[in-house]
Parts: sequence; structure tokens; C-alpha cells
Amino acid sequence: MTNALALARTSARRLFVALLCLPLFLISAVSQAASYTLYIKAGTHTINGAGGTTLKVWGFTDNPSTGPMVPGPLLESQEGETVTVTVYNQHTLAHNFVVRGVTTDTASIPAGSSKTYSFTTPKAGTYLVSDTLNSNINREMGLHGALVVRAAGGVNKVWTNGPSFDLERVWIVSDMDKPRWNDIAGNGGSVSTGTYKPNYFMMNGLGGHDAMHDPNTVLQGSPGKVGLVRIVNAGQFDQSLHFHANHFRVIDDDGLRLSNPEYGDTINVQAGTTAMVLFPLRSGIYPMHVHSAQLETANGVYLNGVATLLVGQ
Amino acid sequence: MNPKMLSMNIGTALAGLALALVPLTPASAARLGNATVLNAASGVTIQVNPVDKVMSDGQTVRFWVFCAGGGGGGGMMGGGGGCYPSGPTLELGVGQQLNVSLNIMMAPQENAPYNGHTIHWHGLDVAQSEDGVPETGASVLGDNYSFSVDSRYVGSHMYHCHVHTVKHLEMGMYAPLVVKSVNNAGAFVDVINSGGPAYDYEWNLMYSSVDPAYHTAVGDSTTFADYNPKYFLINGNEGRSMTAPAETVTAAPGKKVAIRLFGIMSVNSSFEIKNASGSSQSFTVYNKDGYKLPSTQTLTKLDLTPGQTADVMLTLPSTTGSWYPQVTFKNLRNGGSYSGGTVYTRLNF
Repeated sequence: MTNALALARTSARRLFVALLCLPLFLISAVSQAASYTLYIKAGTHTINGAGGTTLKVWGFTDNPSTGPMVPGPLLESQEGETVTVTVYNQHTLAHNFVVRGVTTDTASIPAGSSKTYSFTTPKAGTYLVSDTLNSNINREMGLHGALVVRAAGGVNKVWTNGPSFDLERVWIVSDMDKPRWNDIAGNGGSVSTGTYKPNYFMMNGLGGHDAMHDPNTVLQGSPGKVGLVRIVNAGQFDQSLHFHANHFRVIDDDGLRLSNPEYGDTINVQAGTTAMVLFPLRSGIYPMHVHSAQLETANGVYLNGVATLLVGQ
Repeated sequence: MNPKMLSMNIGTALAGLALALVPLTPASAARLGNATVLNAASGVTIQVNPVDKVMSDGQTVRFWVFCAGGGGGGGMMGGGGGCYPSGPTLELGVGQQLNVSLNIMMAPQENAPYNGHTIHWHGLDVAQSEDGVPETGASVLGDNYSFSVDSRYVGSHMYHCHVHTVKHLEMGMYAPLVVKSVNNAGAFVDVINSGGPAYDYEWNLMYSSVDPAYHTAVGDSTTFADYNPKYFLINGNEGRSMTAPAETVTAAPGKKVAIRLFGIMSVNSSFEIKNASGSSQSFTVYNKDGYKLPSTQTLTKLDLTPGQTADVMLTLPSTTGSWYPQVTFKNLRNGGSYSGGTVYTRLNF
């Protein structure tokens, strides 16, 4: 009797544990692997508003029936996950797919063929995704994006046991030289890479006139909430991003985690690098903009460059 | 904005009077350099003047600069001082109420939509109503600014116009703003940051860059799509060689000097201090963007990018000599240096 009772109890406990684990198991089963299919295509990209234009671009997209996206689709995963990305090169030139600091295969994907990349995310953070071939031309033409690696378990920590945040934005900043690079490369010509005078500057592919209204770019939440901003400079110009309203705390400088709080109002994100900052929202509407002359413009038109809003309400 | 405008006119007159009557709060450290220094809590009126400056190659470039209102001093149209790029330095004690009026009645300006001017308190985290940004509601017709800051801000900040900044910053509408610790009597205490070490001298170095094409273009011109700086300035002066420095100052040997660096240029930069034979001297960085660093950094080279500030300190040798604090301006694409892109200053001791 005693043994039978003990056995029954054990079984019940096992069942209970199994039931408890079921949703966890389902979550972890989903989160242990992320899979993406990307297509490389040529097409156009439009910057709206005064000074805007339509640029010839090459870009990644996850939709086989649409044109390229600039930047490419955001790749998302959790710490320690296996990420599989299959890239179909539907363009007439060779390209590659590199997650900076994560993948090492820089060999080209010939025109018309595909390649599958599989990697385990090393640590939570923000990573530049780009085509590294062709003397920066491919990245400049739009073949760039970001991989976001979050803390395991879906917690609102920047990394496991790291600082907390309440809301999150990814800001991919970039630049394009329409007359000397996009017009030339987009028409099959040879770009003279010694000269680069970009006249379009974007946040998440948008000029400032759009970026100041885009819900995925504007950092908006209740005053006091802490925004995690993941900044990726996919361009070729270093960008100094100035935040009004509050000092941010730098928590990650191009993959280097800063354990001591370092504060600032202007962060220099060098071309091809990343940074992460925590920004406590303040009541009101304030700008965030780059602090260098022409980078605030779209072909000279003010505030249609790298600019968005910090909204506490 | 109308009630504000009304009070501005009265405030302007009163502020001019206050400026004449109230001396700067005495401070124990000496200020090096030629800048006009004003206590921002004393009631300051800032106006905007055009200044034509003959550059080293003989070309004349027009600047628009902040000047202390109230008569006298330099500038084409009168003013109390600071009438060059950069304008008058403002100092603000922790907890004290900034009281600054911007009077644009005689100011040079662009046509709408970029008419008028504002003051943005760069690095001071002020309320939207004091932020000086036209796109978020600031008056461009002149304004009174009032706020206070706490001890976290002891260090270097800037103030600048926030109208059509791609042009107005280039035109020279910027100046240093230094937040100071205060004692119980409200007098400035010359420490590098709250609870930080004292210094014997302080010296503000404001970096800027000049593309003359930006000085003549107006509105939404394609000129503003490309930046080709031709002149590089510290405190409004070219200083193209050690023998023709942008500014020369003298301090006593063995003393501690705080050097405040203000980056309002549109390109990147590196700061170094070299002796006469070109050897780099180390210095210690205490603050960045007017906020205390978690731990100080002792360096021989410090990068400063557009919009950043830094506060550094050094101890002069006990024997006499000269050092040459200098800034090398670097392009945004690959960090390459510009022709004539190093600006020298001279620190005698």
C-alpha cells in the first residue's frame, strides 16, 4: 500500500511537472531555431517628402513577390539560438550575406543561385547584416540590415541578467550617393569608389520627414519608461546622433558591453558599427537628430535626413 | 507666445541693466582665453549680429554670431561682447535659475520657413518649452529661457540656434555653456564635476568648421547636400601653425588647468597636447557630454565628434615652457585628415 501510494504520488507529480512544462516546452521549441528566407533583388527605393527621390537600389527582401527592402527585413533571435538563413540571389551580380562578428563565410553567392547559412547566435546584442563584396558598393546600394539577438526567455533585459528596458527600437542609419553611386551602379556602370558624397541620409530607410512619424522609428512611450535603442550604422559616414530631452546611458559600444554607466547626449556610431543605449523618456516631444551639416538633409532639404522624435506621453 | 514676447521686450531692457550692474560671481580659478563670460542667472540678453571675417587666404566669410546685448564691445552693430564665432560663454550654477532673453530684432535671418532664431541648450535636459526647437513649438521670434539644472550637469555643454541648423550652426550661432558647482552662498566652486577635483585655471576650446558655400546659400538649397569644409576654427580663429595659434594663454607652472572641449563642428576630430618638439602630453578626461565618467581616462589623444563635449585636466610642469593643445579635423567617411585641418593653440607656463 505504501509503495503503491508513493508510486501514485510520483506519477501525479510527474504528470503535474509534465503539464507545467508543456507551455514552456512549446515556447522553447519555437525559440530554439529561427529560420529566414531572403531574396536579393534590384529595384527602387523612394524617400518621400521635399528633397526626396527614387533611388536605384539592391536589397534583401523576405517576400518573393515584391521588390527589395531597404534596409532588409529585421532578423530576430534569442541568445544561443540556431538561426538559418537561406539567401536566393535573384540579381545579375554576385553577392554575399554576412552577419558582422557572427558569420565568417564571405564567399559570393553567384547570380541565380542560393546559399544557406546556419549559425548560433553568440550573445545578445545588435549586429550589422550586409553584403560585404564590391568595395562597399553592395552595402551602399541597400544590401544591409540588422540581426537583433535578445535575452533568452523573452524577458525585457538587454541580455540575460543585464539592464532592463520597457520598449525597444532599432535604428538603422545609412547614406546613399545618388548621382555618383546609385545612378551609376544601378545602370550597370562602374562606380569610382574614391569619391563618395552621399546626398541622402536615412533612418530605417526613411528620410526624416517620414522617420519623425514612423511608429517603428519614433521612440514613444509613457514618461519615465526606458527605451532600448539599437543603433546600426550601415552607411559609410560616421554619424553622431544627438538626443534632446535626456542623457542616454551607453550599454554596448559595437559589441563591447559597458558595465559602468557612461552617459551622453551625443553618440558617435562609426560607419559599419553598432551601439546600444538606454534612454529614459521625458514628458513632451523632442527631436533626435544627427549633428553634422548635410546628414540632416535629403539632398539639402532640412530635416529630411537622419532625424526622428523622442515622445514621452 | 504673445505674452512671452511682451515680457521679452521689458526683460531685454532689464537684462541689459542687470548685466551692467551685477558683476560675475567671483570664482577662485582664473579663466584663460579671450571669451566674454557671463553668469547665465544674472539676466542676460543675447542678440545676433552679422560679422564679416577675413580668413587666412584673404576670403571674407560672413558669420552670424551671438553677442551679449547691452551696448559697447565689438561686432558690426554693437553688443556687449562675444561678437565672434563662438559667442559669449555662459556659466550657470547648479540650482540657479537661468535667465536669458534672445532678442532677434536686428538679427540677420533667412526667409520663411527658416526665419528667426532660437537658443537650444545642448546637453541640458530641459523641458520642451525651453528646448528651442521650432519644429516642437519654440518661438523663432525671440524668447525668454528659464530653467535650472542639478549637479549631474556640472561640466561643459553648449548653446546654439536650432533653426535650420544645417545653415545656422555653420553661420557661427554657437557658444560654450558651463555648469558650475556652487557653495552654500551661491558662489561658483571651481571643481571639474560634482565632488571632483579643483583646478586653478579653466580654458574653453570650441571647435568649428566652415564651408564658405554654406554661408551664402539659403533655404532648401542643394548646397546643403554636400559639406566641404575649408576653414577650421578654435574659438572662432584659425590657428594653422604653432607660430600662429588660434589662441595663446599663459598660466603659472605646476598648476592644474581644466580644458573644456566643445565640438560644434560638422566633422570628426582628435584632440592632442604636444610640446614644442612634438611629443604628446597626457591629460585626464573627467566628463563627456557634461556628465561625469564612471572612471577617469588618462590619454594622449581624445576623439570628439559633432555635438560632443569633454572636460579634461592636466597639471603643468614646474618649469617654464609652452605646450600646444591642438585639434585635427577628420572627415566622416574614413577619418582622413583635411588639408590645413590641424588647429593649434598655445599654453605658456
